[in-house]
Amino acid sequence: MNVPKLLFALFVFAAGWMPLSALAHKESDAYLTLRADPANNHVMHGQWDIALRDLDYAIGIDANHDGAITWGEVQARRVAIEQYAMARMEVKGDGITCDMQPTGQKIDEHTDGAYDVILFDAVCDKNIPSKLTVVYRLMYDLDPYHRGIVTIHSGDKIAGAVLGPSNPVASLNLREPERWSEFKSFMVDGIWHIWTGIDHIMFLLSLLLPAVLIMRRTGTNGGAWRKSAAVAESSGALMLLAPTSSRYRWEPVASFWPACLDVIKIVSAFSLSHSITLSLAVLGYVHVPSRLVESGIALSVMVAALNNVYPLVNKRVWLIAFAFGFIHGLGFASALSGLQLPTGAMVASLGGFSIGVEIGQEAIVLAFLPLAYWLRKTRFYQVVMLRWVSILIIVIALGWLVQRAFDILIPGFSAILPA
Amino acid sequence: MNAICRGNVCETLTRRDNYLGASRLFLALVLLFAATLVSAADHLEPYVPAGANVVLQEVPPTTDPRVRQFDQLRADFAQHPNNGKKAVALAQAYIDYGRATGDARYLGRAMAVIGPFMAQPAPPIPVLLVHATIQQSRHFFQASRDELTLILKRDPGNVQALLTLATVAMVQGDHELANRSCVALTNSGGNFMGMTCTAALRGLDGHIAQAYALLSYVQDPGPEAPPAIKAWIQGLMADTAARMGKFDLADDHFKNALQMTPGDNFLLADYGEFLIDRGRAEAAVELVRNDTQSDTSFLVLVTAENMLGLPKAKSDMAEMDARFRSMDQRGDHVFMREEASYLLHVEHNPKEALDLAQQNWRVQRAPKDVRVYLEAALAANDPVAAKPALDFIADTHLADVAIDPLVRQLRAAATTADPLASAASVPSIARPSPTGSGR
Repeated sequence: MNVPKLLFALFVFAAGWMPLSALAHKESDAYLTLRADPANNHVMHGQWDIALRDLDYAIGIDANHDGAITWGEVQARRVAIEQYAMARMEVKGDGITCDMQPTGQKIDEHTDGAYDVILFDAVCDKNIPSKLTVVYRLMYDLDPYHRGIVTIHSGDKIAGAVLGPSNPVASLNLREPERWSEFKSFMVDGIWHIWTGIDHIMFLLSLLLPAVLIMRRTGTNGGAWRKSAAVAESSGALMLLAPTSSRYRWEPVASFWPACLDVIKIVSAFSLSHSITLSLAVLGYVHVPSRLVESGIALSVMVAALNNVYPLVNKRVWLIAFAFGFIHGLGFASALSGLQLPTGAMVASLGGFSIGVEIGQEAIVLAFLPLAYWLRKTRFYQVVMLRWVSILIIVIALGWLVQRAFDILIPGFSAILPA
Repeated sequence: MNAICRGNVCETLTRRDNYLGASRLFLALVLLFAATLVSAADHLEPYVPAGANVVLQEVPPTTDPRVRQFDQLRADFAQHPNNGKKAVALAQAYIDYGRATGDARYLGRAMAVIGPFMAQPAPPIPVLLVHATIQQSRHFFQASRDELTLILKRDPGNVQALLTLATVAMVQGDHELANRSCVALTNSGGNFMGMTCTAALRGLDGHIAQAYALLSYVQDPGPEAPPAIKAWIQGLMADTAARMGKFDLADDHFKNALQMTPGDNFLLADYGEFLIDRGRAEAAVELVRNDTQSDTSFLVLVTAENMLGLPKAKSDMAEMDARFRSMDQRGDHVFMREEASYLLHVEHNPKEALDLAQQNWRVQRAPKDVRVYLEAALAANDPVAAKPALDFIADTHLADVAIDPLVRQLRAAATTADPLASAASVPSIARPSPTGSGR
């Protein structure tokens, strides 16, 4: 018998004898456990045990190749292990990919050896996942018989699945969809979006400032002095000093209710128009580049404040609110974009966010109106608030407009105000 | 446990419970609890090792020539990822290493190497052969057999396919196919292959003395033959001699074989089982004491310790059970015969052992499978359940000193216990099928 045949027989020998006895070690497994945080509905705490033997095969752990993996060698490869593993698994809450944040590294002993333990948090930012999906691809290219043994704990519920290359996805229902909690969560987001969105506040304030005043025109039949004063005023030279314009003057409203009505009209018009574009944009019917939207918002703030200095519109300020509300709605939508909103939670999230925006806005109005009404007769209000503050807003909005439209940074400007 | 499942997701976890029934689940829970108590000293929770120098895991060192060989093959293949020959060479090295060490991970790694080539419309025959070999090694015998049949349609004289098919057919108990394959193997593979094949088959169909004689013709394949080949034949002769009742002879062959391939995982398990059978439990403990990472060796150890009533037996039983549970978690069941034997001889749970032996019977029918099936049926006092195995023995004339007395006892028990059932030959199918009920 010649050598090649024997070598060949050696291989079939491997083939031939094996089935009489099972292989002595089990195949590759990893154990993935996710636990819902009882205190925070957005977070799942994860523990992922991956065999050191598998990690050594995949990315190399035994740095000195002496056949013994030490804790020091495992620690040295922590980042590499986390990057390798995290890129091969996704946790999704209602279809939205949750953010994976490694929180620690440990060791666990299983029946077939030592495993690296990746501790992590899956942060499902916006929504409270009712249906959790795990997409598992670890080792799929290195060992098709690798299995991810997934266990999910949520309250007193336990669910499990065995995942592998031919069956990489498991969906598990954690709870009944908590639409109301989701709604609340998005509502709070909406409120904060308004309160922290200084451009929206400035726009609204600019429109509301004159609401407690009535503009009275003083006529244009004055002499040359009045004309030159008007030119001077237009040039801005006297504007800061002049108690009031020569061509018109502001008078406090006589009673509260007309002012209140004015405010309601402005706010309602703004709400109506921004709700329309917010919905259209979130539902995907409208898409406007964010640079255009942001520039438009800056322009709207400038126009609203300019109207206080060069009043073109007084009785129908709500028209400005309505017209520019469309562009602000697109701005709100960008806060929700980046989240692929699950269809089931669409109503809850969009509705919650819109109502949050309204609440945030009404809160500003409720704080503003009584104060403004109370101060309306003072020179402080008529000069400092209405005129100087409006001029300041114009300057800021102009800065924003330049930055956003031309995508440049004005030195020092961003230090004062967010771009 | 309030599991919520979608589609087939939970099936793998619950399948086991379905076919083993609630009592099994209860047993598992009790044992799991016991395991928790016993191995509390071990780390059940993740921990931070005491220091950077703590050794956590042994892995194949580069001082092992086999590791260096497949490292080299791996580098070679990495440079030529489209070269099927290099892929097959690497996959074969992995399979070989996996077989010698018993580490099943290497089968998966081999499978991954040939994966891209398997995806081609008509994979090359060497690739298909590797694939069929892996399938067979993972006890997917039918899939392996179908694949080998296709290979032989394309290349009727393929020696490796013929030998593998013969092996699969023997494990499945299809002796007619095994015989055809052995004959074809003699024609295309030469006398050595044909004779070994035939000898193996003769050992299964009542001509066991002939089998031993045939093996003794080929037991010295010449000085240039690799030790593994000689060890293989010595192992076959040991098994055959043991089944003939020539125990001293068998012992000699086992020792020869282990001298040629020390530490070979399958030889250790085989010899260990033999020693336990012969009442030499101390020798069995001694044999596998240093190979406890291997599940087959550990099973021998636990069985022997239990037999000797050693104090360590209790904690090792818990450990063995934990190993079986972690195999269950995967949803693969390649260890059914071993677990049935464990349940019967160590846990003394004949009913569950019989359930598992019946499961195993659907997949494989080698003498050891026959034996544990009969033993379990006898211990469970359920001779009717043994009918498929008894029929198989009648059909194939399987003879074995360990099996023959079992057959007599079961036949006697069947006649005395329920002559009607025996006469009417109630098919075991009439019993509620454990797998059928749950799926």
